[in-house]
Amino acid sequence: MSTNLSKDMNADMGADMTPTPQANAGKVARTTTPVNTMKWLIRRELWEHKGAFFWAPLVVAVTLTLLLGGGFLYGIMHAGSFELQFGEHQVAVNGVPHALRAQLASSVASSYLVVAAPLFLVLPVVVFFYCLAALYDDRRDRSILFWKSLPLSDRDTVLSKVIVALLVAPLVVIGTGVATSLVLLALGLIAAAFNGINLIVPVLSDMRLYLSPLYLLSFLPLYIVWGLPTVGWLLLVSSWARSKVFLWAVGAPVVLLAILSWFDFLMGRFSGVSLGAKWFGNEIVARVLGGVVPGIWFGEVDKGALAQMQGGIDAGLLLGISYSTLASPGVWIAAAAGCAMIAGAVRLRRWRDEG
Amino acid sequence: MSAVLSARGLTKRYGKQIAVDAIDFDIPAGRIVGLIGPNGSGKTTTLKAALGLIPFEGELSVLGFDPRTERDALMQDVCFIADVAILPRWLRVMDAIDFVAGVHPRFDRSKAERYIANTKLTPTMKVKQMSKGMIVQLHLALVMAIDARLLVLDEPTLGLDIIYRKTFYQNLLEDYFDEEKTIIITTHQVEEVEHILTDLLFIRDGKLVLSATMEEIGERYVEVMVASDKVAAASALQPIDQRVVFGKSVMLFDARRAGGLSRAQLAALGEVRNPSVADLFVATMKGTYA
Repeated sequence: MSTNLSKDMNADMGADMTPTPQANAGKVARTTTPVNTMKWLIRRELWEHKGAFFWAPLVVAVTLTLLLGGGFLYGIMHAGSFELQFGEHQVAVNGVPHALRAQLASSVASSYLVVAAPLFLVLPVVVFFYCLAALYDDRRDRSILFWKSLPLSDRDTVLSKVIVALLVAPLVVIGTGVATSLVLLALGLIAAAFNGINLIVPVLSDMRLYLSPLYLLSFLPLYIVWGLPTVGWLLLVSSWARSKVFLWAVGAPVVLLAILSWFDFLMGRFSGVSLGAKWFGNEIVARVLGGVVPGIWFGEVDKGALAQMQGGIDAGLLLGISYSTLASPGVWIAAAAGCAMIAGAVRLRRWRDEG
Repeated sequence: MSAVLSARGLTKRYGKQIAVDAIDFDIPAGRIVGLIGPNGSGKTTTLKAALGLIPFEGELSVLGFDPRTERDALMQDVCFIADVAILPRWLRVMDAIDFVAGVHPRFDRSKAERYIANTKLTPTMKVKQMSKGMIVQLHLALVMAIDARLLVLDEPTLGLDIIYRKTFYQNLLEDYFDEEKTIIITTHQVEEVEHILTDLLFIRDGKLVLSATMEEIGERYVEVMVASDKVAAASALQPIDQRVVFGKSVMLFDARRAGGLSRAQLAALGEVRNPSVADLFVATMKGTYA
C-alpha cells in the first residue's frame, strides 16, 4: 500500500523527486561527515607539486633578494668611505635637483614591482609542466585507480587542476613577487639614503606604492582568459596521451606549423596560394602553447601606446591597454576552445581504460 | 533483499576480442564473493565495468545505479582496491588520512588511525619509503575506515608475503565485514580466501562456468580417496577430475551430474571429503592453458 501511495505521490511531484528505489533499499542509518571536495583536491595538488609551486618561486625570490639586496648593501658599505674621501662629491649627490629627485621617487614607487620580473618567468614554466603532468602522471603510475576509488568526480578532479594552474599558482607568484619587491625596495631606499639620495619620504607618501600590488592582482582575470587555451590544450594532451606527453603537446602543433610554413614558402613563390601558416602560428600555436606566459597579450597591443610611458610604469594605462585586447574575438574564441578542451579532458579521464 | 550487483548480458569487447561474453549474475547483500578465473578470463574487466571504469554493453546495476551514467553517486557507497601498490609515491600517511576524511562522507578517521597505530607506519612517512606490504596496510586502513556497502578487491595481496596476506584477510573479516556489506574478491591465491568466501563465481574465457554458494558447493562436489580395489568402479561414475596422491587415487565427483550421485554411493568407494576450492578450480578450468 505504501508503495502505491509513494508511486502516486511521485507521479504528482514529478520524476526528479523520485528516489531511486534500489538505492534506498536496505539503507540503514549510516553516519556521514560533511565534505569539502574542492578544497581537498586543491590541497592534494599542492602536496604533490610542492616543489614547483612553493620551492621554485621561493628559491628565485631568495636568490633575487640575495643578489640585488647584496648589491644595495655593498652600496651602503661603500657610501661611508665615499663621503669621507670625496667630500665634494657628496655635496653633488645631495644637490640632486628637486625635480629629478621627485621623478626618481615617482619611478620607484610606481615600478618597484619590476624587480620581481624573473618570478613571472618562472610562473609559465611551472604552470606549463604542471598541466602536462596533471592528468598523465597518475595514469602512468596507476594511482589514478586510487583516486577513482574515492567519491571524486572526474569533473571536479580536472577543475581542481585548472584552478591550481590559473588561480593558485599565479596568486602564489604574485604574493612572492610583491613580498620580494617590498624587501628589495626597503633595502634599496636605505642604500640610496646612505648614498645621500633620501627617497624614503616621497616614496612612502606615493599612493602608487600601495596600489601597485592591486594593479598587479587586477591582471589576474586577464591572465586566466589568455591562459585558458593553453591550460585546456595541455590538460587534453595530458589526459589523452599514452606516453610522451611533451612531444605530443609541443611537437604536434609545431610540426604542423612547420609543414604549413613550408607549404606557404614553396607555393608563395609560384602562386598566391597560402594555407595561412602565419595565422596558424599566431592564432593557434601561440595561444595553445604561450597562453600562460604573463603579458602574452602585449603581442596584440599598439606599441605606440606603451612608448608614451615616462617616469615609471603607468599602471592604469598598462591595465587599460592590456584589457583592450579582450575586444578582439580571437581571445574569446580561444578561451572557449580552452574550456571545450578541458571538457574533453574530463571525458577522456572518465572513460580511458587504464588497463 | 535486492541484489547489490546484478548483471544481465554483460558484454565487453576490446576490438574484435570478447573479454566478457554476455554474463548474467546476481550478488545479494552481506556476501563475500570470490570471482575466480585464470589470467585473461575477464575477471578484472567485469569488476572494472561494475566500478564504472570502462564502457560496456548489456545491463549492469550496482546498488541500483548504472555505473556508466551514475558513477559519481555510486562511488559514495562503493570502494575498491584495484591493485596492490597503487598509492601515489609522494603521499604521506597523515595527508592520505586527511584527504580521504575530507572527501569521503563515510570515512571514520579514528578507525583508520587505530588501524595504522597497529602497524609500523608513521604519520610523516611517504609511500615511496614504504615496502609493498606497508603500502597495502595503509590502503587497507583507508578502505576499512570507509563504511561502503560494496567493497571490491582485485588481487589485493598479490606479491605480498604470507604474513601480510594472512593479516589482510583476517582484518577484513574481523573489523570490516558485516551483514550490510558485500565484498567481491578476485585472487589467484584461492586457498587463502576460500575459508572466508560465502559464494563462488568461476569465470573462464569471459563466461561464467560456476556460480554457487559455498553450501551448494559442499553439497554438490565430493572428493573421494578411492580405495585401490575400487578404482575401476569409481571411474565408471565419471569423476570430473582425478589425481594420484601417495599412490592413492583422489577423484572429484559432481553429485548433480546427469543421473545424480548420492553421498552414500560415493562413500562406498572410499573416504569422502569436501574438495578445496583450489582443486575444484583446477578441475573446472582443465584445458584452459592447453
